[in-house]
Amino acid sequence: MKYVLPVVGTVAALGLFAFSTANQAAMAVEKPSYSDTFEQLDLFADVMARVRSDYVVEVEDGQLIEDAINGMLQSLDPHSSYVNPEDWLRLQEQTSGRYVGVGMEVTQEEGYVKVVSPIDGTPAKEAGIESGDYITEINGETVLGLSLTEAVNKIRGKAGESVTITIARADEEPSEITLIRREVNREVVTYEIKDGVPYIRISQFNEKAAPGLEGAITELRRQIGGELPGLVLDVRTNPGGLLDQSIKVSSAFLDGGEVVSTRGRDGANLESYDAAPGQLLRDVPVIVLIDEASASASEIVAGAIQDRGRGLVLGMTSFGKGSVQSLIPLRGGRDGALRLTTQRYYTPAGRSIQGTGIDPDLYVSSIPDDGEDHDRLSESDLPNSIENEDSEAAEDIDTEETVIDFPPEDFDVQDDYQLQRAVELIKSGRYTQRLAELQN
Amino acid sequence: MSLKRGFAAGLCAAVFLGASWSMANERNKIDPPSYDRMQILADVLAIVESDYVEPVETQALIEGALQGALAKLDPHSGYVPPVAFTEQVKAARREYGGLGIEVTMEEGMIKINYALEDGPAFQAGIRSGDFITAVEGESIVGKNLDEAVEGIRGLAGDPVIVTVMSPETGTRDLTVVRQKVRGRAIRHRVEDGLGYVLIESFNNTKLTDDLTKAINELKAELGDPLPGLIIDLRGNRGGLLTQSVSVSGLFLDGGEVLSVRGRQDVDTERYHAEDGELLPGTPIVVLVSPGSASAAEILAGALQDRGRAVVVGRRSFGKGSVQSVIPMPGKRGALRLTTQKYYTPSGKSIQGRGIMPDFLVSAFDDTGELRRRFREDSLPNALINIDASEYEEDYDAVTFPPETFPETEDFQLKTAVDVLKSSQYQTLLDAQSDLD
Repeated sequence: MKYVLPVVGTVAALGLFAFSTANQAAMAVEKPSYSDTFEQLDLFADVMARVRSDYVVEVEDGQLIEDAINGMLQSLDPHSSYVNPEDWLRLQEQTSGRYVGVGMEVTQEEGYVKVVSPIDGTPAKEAGIESGDYITEINGETVLGLSLTEAVNKIRGKAGESVTITIARADEEPSEITLIRREVNREVVTYEIKDGVPYIRISQFNEKAAPGLEGAITELRRQIGGELPGLVLDVRTNPGGLLDQSIKVSSAFLDGGEVVSTRGRDGANLESYDAAPGQLLRDVPVIVLIDEASASASEIVAGAIQDRGRGLVLGMTSFGKGSVQSLIPLRGGRDGALRLTTQRYYTPAGRSIQGTGIDPDLYVSSIPDDGEDHDRLSESDLPNSIENEDSEAAEDIDTEETVIDFPPEDFDVQDDYQLQRAVELIKSGRYTQRLAELQN
Repeated sequence: MSLKRGFAAGLCAAVFLGASWSMANERNKIDPPSYDRMQILADVLAIVESDYVEPVETQALIEGALQGALAKLDPHSGYVPPVAFTEQVKAARREYGGLGIEVTMEEGMIKINYALEDGPAFQAGIRSGDFITAVEGESIVGKNLDEAVEGIRGLAGDPVIVTVMSPETGTRDLTVVRQKVRGRAIRHRVEDGLGYVLIESFNNTKLTDDLTKAINELKAELGDPLPGLIIDLRGNRGGLLTQSVSVSGLFLDGGEVLSVRGRQDVDTERYHAEDGELLPGTPIVVLVSPGSASAAEILAGALQDRGRAVVVGRRSFGKGSVQSVIPMPGKRGALRLTTQKYYTPSGKSIQGRGIMPDFLVSAFDDTGELRRRFREDSLPNALINIDASEYEEDYDAVTFPPETFPETEDFQLKTAVDVLKSSQYQTLLDAQSDLD
């Protein structure tokens, strides 16, 4: 049975772009010795009994255990957590239903909530919240001491109600922003023709991503009056989403063959996910735009197109989330569920992108060169993040000499230099040559 | 799975204002958490052990669980794993090798502020007011304090040659054998004709003795009775409960210093001052800051409540809870758990609100508003005090340094001196009793 984990589109902000999910509770792996487990549980029970009898005020058992489970899971990695029964129900509703919220992807850093990306067409985006902003207070209360889930729960609520968050940004005084939660349009695909070149943006990989892409291609073909002369596929700031959607999106460009594979502990339980035979866009030049906030499912698409030689990847090195979370219900969900990192995924060439991200074929910066090496928030910066098994790969990203194409100093960032470069490349006809160069 | 239902009687528990050891009360029959709840955790553990993407250690998982549960209770509760617990016990017993002197840098030389009587420097003839100009023949001129002191420190038992200059005997080389010495947690001096003692911490089992000695030295210098005493508790994070009680006892003639209350009324323990006091009739000002916490607040609160001292400065930190360190039997580490709150003699809880000075004086310039200071109630998940909200400092009531006041000087200390030397002391003391 497959459980779909719609973190991104629906809960927006619950975890971090965790995606997909199989219940693999029955995996055969060597278990730690029974006696050790028993002793440890015994210790836990003893401590809890002590707390119960001696703590200065009365405590509620259920809360203690929930905090304990969360503590256990969060000690593993930033994407594993406990979903309590209440949230589990909400999650179920949201899979089939609608998303009400403010629309941002968040993570936790040094106790604060950090915005990974605001989602297109949501109150957060409209209020000018940016990637990298810190949320220090929610409704006037500090977020210090809250787990990510708790903080997110405070941000979430009913449509029409407001939530006030305090945003701290480098070199600026903290400011309060009031957002009104609303039902968010979950269309995640937008498209247009830029200087004669078709452009499609996917902002998240929710269940509307692949249908949206197909619809956009059909509509663009109609406007052009024939096959597309090329396509810029934009997954910048796209935090990921569902695994099956990333495969369907990749299938539009690939004629069968592997898109991604996932492996469990010690490389066991290899599963390969292939593109559907036939492709929507045969021989159409494709440039995928990525940036530091492209994560997870976005990295699968970029990685597959890059490894299969199907297109060029342009922008900056992506986030580097190469792990898969499974949503495992406890007693059918009556005790909530476990969101647990169970697998890593690998690009068709067998690369793990965990911690390293996808390096673009063409490094193009969105902002002019100010001589500084800008810190990007990446998976490897998250507390307890899982390391890449191939440590050399992890080091490579810093040591490798990279030539970055920066916009001129007076360039208006609004004009989107990365997109301009992609469009130019397709129009100039140098695309084919560059692709061939890379393949040698 | 079966759950352990009992505990060995008479476990040792440390009352953790600092680390004094007392016996845990074994009053209750302990009920384990319900089987159901425990079962969820056991299920989760089993799934993680079998399915997590990397091999896991059960012990680390349970540790994470314990930290997760305890950290949510309050900022001072937690689980101390076996290895760390052993380290902590060691650290509490660690001793350093040195000469037994307290020094500052003055005119490029090391000045001896105080030489511990039982320390090797004192025994070699070094006295307060002497200067050290060279260590092992190497001049210390041009070095900063840390660099200068570095050569003095070393292994206990090893000798070091220091060049000492004193007004009486001139310059001479002395060979001093480093010893394991214990430091003092206090500094004392004469301030403008008044006695001044800075208590840095209550985490020193000899604190009360050292303080008594220091006050006797001040008496010898200034005459008995002392014209006035300033007890500086600014930045003092607390320490041993027993020391806060015995130090309070130096200035109070019997009577309650504080009470400690657990969840149930029967758990209330009262701590009393010893009969007789060291400085009868001497006016005392206690200086506090938002960094004064725990045992420091006990002392300030006791002297204030009992009308024995005027408290000057800014509202203190507000840590009014007591942690017990409960070792888990079978070398399974220890539990650090908040078990009690403490109350000043008049029955006020310090938790979350601290000690409010009788005279609010800022150390910093007036910026038109009170800067929010970091206190107990700014900690995540802090235990809240029901009436804490009424315990905010009033900006209009705060005295700030005048614009002309030199930045390098201590305005709060200067105010303390002024209070002691004027009728303001009595006025502030009278205002205390008006409130009660």
